[in-house]
Amino acid sequence: MATPTSAMSRPQAERVMEQKLRKVQEIFADGPEIGRLALEKGTAAFKQELAAAMGQTGATQQTTAGRIGARQGSVSELTIIVPLVAGGAKRTRALLELLEGNFQGADAVGTVHDMRFVFLDNDTKLLFATAYDGEWDAYIDDFATKIPNTMDIVFCNAVGWPGIRSPAIKDWIVKHQIPAAAWYVANPNLTVSKARRLERVGTAVEELLDKIG
Amino acid sequence: MPTPASTQQNLSGKDKIERFKQLFADAPEVGRKALENVLHEIAQDATETPPPPIESAGRIGVRLGKVSELTIIVPLVAGGAKRLRAFLRLLGGNLARGDQVGTLHNMRFVFFDNDTRLLFATTYDGDWDAYIDDFVTKIPDYLDLIDSAWDGWPGIRSPKAKDYLAAHQISAEGWYVAHPDLTVAETARLKRIGKAVDKFLDEIG
Repeated sequence: MATPTSAMSRPQAERVMEQKLRKVQEIFADGPEIGRLALEKGTAAFKQELAAAMGQTGATQQTTAGRIGARQGSVSELTIIVPLVAGGAKRTRALLELLEGNFQGADAVGTVHDMRFVFLDNDTKLLFATAYDGEWDAYIDDFATKIPNTMDIVFCNAVGWPGIRSPAIKDWIVKHQIPAAAWYVANPNLTVSKARRLERVGTAVEELLDKIG
Repeated sequence: MPTPASTQQNLSGKDKIERFKQLFADAPEVGRKALENVLHEIAQDATETPPPPIESAGRIGVRLGKVSELTIIVPLVAGGAKRLRAFLRLLGGNLARGDQVGTLHNMRFVFFDNDTRLLFATTYDGDWDAYIDDFVTKIPDYLDLIDSAWDGWPGIRSPKAKDYLAAHQISAEGWYVAHPDLTVAETARLKRIGKAVDKFLDEIG
């Protein structure tokens, strides 16, 4: 993680940046040519990027989502890859097809921005990746309290799934979650509920303008 | 690959329930029980207007409303994970350049299988081709810095770049978006309106 350097003096910050730039050049010294060339061409832009990373405060600084996973501002990421039981992929796929790939039930959770299911390695594994609001523990609790049965229906097809109501559930998820090494969010302060409010405000303003226009 | 949109549309609610039951007849017990618990909800949902199905995002990947998913898994070259990890660490795990793409909601880099593979997953607006073009025209050098760790990467300016990406992309078979109509651009517009409304209410309040 970058150390916030906003407290540094300008010459200090520039020295640190030069050091960082040299470090990147070292890292890429034995890299493929495409990468080395890109570094040469992008040096100016890259310096700006480093400066931005160093000057970051608050929302744009990557932090942790709690027990595991990365967060930017209010928005966190969860990425799990789980092995499937025999017949698990077939069942999960048929289930997703019946739902026409759409999981409207997740609206009930209230903190999910997006969620994908991807089958990997000849249907032997399932990738489940979400973008969500806030802390890991609270998020898993939301799933467990709001759509427990849906969770069990989908994930009973994963090897060793203890059941969403089991006290072992959080440890099981942590075991299969892989924290992102980097995580970007366009609007890090926009939670799902804030986005919904903005949509309502937008609609109301249009109606207002229509009426007075 | 089964087509997500949709071979099942013509099934009646009752047929769907039957399919669900068959599907889970040999499932682990925790799944069978859960299905029993929600069958009445599924039956109810089936009588209401079904939610819009997911569609294709273009060449590959799926979309719900205006928001699409891209999920790429690539093998890394020797030393690639080490280089890329160090690079991302220097950036503080943040990729503020993503703002320049203009159609990108979120993006993650996840190393797995002992650093031999990388998952690159994004949520973006609109069509696959236009989105890749946005990356190519707006942040080509960043892309090459990152993707040079990818085994066989031809370079973003190569005519083969899109084929490489499509070959390594795996379409999601389930895709949920909380606000399917909210593009990155529309969000920016609504944020401006929200601010203006707050100010307006402050002044008249």
